[in-house]
Amino acid sequence: MEKASKISRYLYTVIVLFVIWLFLTSSLDPQELTIGLLFSIIIGALTYEVFTERGLANLHPRRIAYAIAYIPYFLWAMIMANLDVAYRVLHPKRPINPGIVECKTVLKNNAGKLALANSITLTPGTITLDVKGDRYFIHWIDVKDASVEGASDNITRPFEKFLKVIFE
Amino acid sequence: MVKRALAIVLILITGYWLANALAQVPFGADKMLVGKYYLENVKDQTGAVNAVTAVVVNYRGLDTLGEVTVLFIAATGVAALLWRKKRERTAKSEGSVVLQTGSRLLLPFIMLFGAYIFIHGHLTPGGGFPGGATIATAFLMLYLAFREYEIPHKVFEPLEGLAGMSYVIVGLIGLAIGGYFLFDWIWQTWQLGHDNIGKLFSAGFIPIIYTLIGLKVGTELTGIVDNMVKEPKEGGQ
Repeated sequence: MEKASKISRYLYTVIVLFVIWLFLTSSLDPQELTIGLLFSIIIGALTYEVFTERGLANLHPRRIAYAIAYIPYFLWAMIMANLDVAYRVLHPKRPINPGIVECKTVLKNNAGKLALANSITLTPGTITLDVKGDRYFIHWIDVKDASVEGASDNITRPFEKFLKVIFE
Repeated sequence: MVKRALAIVLILITGYWLANALAQVPFGADKMLVGKYYLENVKDQTGAVNAVTAVVVNYRGLDTLGEVTVLFIAATGVAALLWRKKRERTAKSEGSVVLQTGSRLLLPFIMLFGAYIFIHGHLTPGGGFPGGATIATAFLMLYLAFREYEIPHKVFEPLEGLAGMSYVIVGLIGLAIGGYFLFDWIWQTWQLGHDNIGKLFSAGFIPIIYTLIGLKVGTELTGIVDNMVKEPKEGGQ
C-alpha cells in the first residue's frame, strides 16, 4: 500500500492527539485547548512517521461509521465469549478440545492485522499466538474444524467484514 | 544454616527496636509543625493547588535540583561504565507484527500522556519525574519491539543538557530579581496568573520547571536504556 503525503499523515496525527487530549482533560477551558494544541503539534511532528501510513484517509466517514458500529458488535462477542468460557470452567465434564489451528486473513494492512489479532484474543476461547504474513496461528479452546478454510470461517471471517472496511 | 538463622535473629531484633521507637508516636495526633504553614499559605505564595508540587519545586526547590543532578550523574555513570567505541543492538529476533504495530500506534499516545502529566504538575498528582518516566517508557517500548531502533543521539543528549541548564537559569534569574536562588519571579514579581489559580496558566514557574524536568528525565532514562541494551561489537572492544 502506498503511503499518503507527509502533510496528510501529520495532520491526521495532530487531529487524533488533540481528540485524545480533549478526552484526557475533559474540559473546554481555552488554556487547556491552547496547551493541548501545542503538544499535539509538537508530538505529532515527532511521531507521525511511525504512527500512520495513510494519513487523513483514515477519517473517511464510511470508515468512522464502521468503526463505531464495530464497537457494540465486538463488545457483544466479548461478553458471549466470557460467558462461554465460564460455562466451560463450571461444567463438571469440562467440555474442552484444545488445539492450534491456522487461519488465513484477507487483511493486508498492519493496523488491521493488529486489530484482528486483538479481537481474536478477546473473543470465543481463541488466542492469537503468532501472525506471519496472512497466516494466523490461533489456539482454540474447542476445535470444531481443523482445516485452514474451516477455521477461518469460524474465527476470522466475522470480524473481517468490519475490519476490511475500517483498515483497507 | 547458622548464617541464615543469625540473619533472621538480627532482622527480628532490628524490627522490634524500630517498632518500639514508632510506638512512642501516638497514631493520628497532629504532628504538623511546618506542614500547617505550607497548607495555609501555598495558594497565596505559589499559586499551586497541588501542595506537594509547591513544596517540591518552590519551597524546597534546591532538593529537586539535587535530585535532577543525581539522575544526571546516574545516566553519565552508566554511559561511562558501558562506554565502548563500537556498540550495537544484540537482539536476535524481530518482534511479531502485533507487537511492532501495537508499539507504533501507542507511541504518540504515551508521549502525549507523559506531557499531560508534567504540564499539570501544579494541579494534579504527578509532575516532572512521573511524566518524564512515562515518556521514557514510550522509547523503551520501541527498543523492545524493533531490532534496529536507536534514538537520535544528536537530538537527545543536547536536549538533556539544555533542559538541565534552563532549570539552573530559571533559578539564577530568580537570584537576580528576588535575591535568592530559585525565587519564583514569574509569580512574585510579574504577578502572572494570579487571577486563574486552579487553571492551567498559574503557579508561576512550576509548570515551566516541570516541563524542563519532564524533558530532562525523559531523555535521560531513555539514554540509560539505550546504553544498557547495546553491547560491544564482536572483536570491537
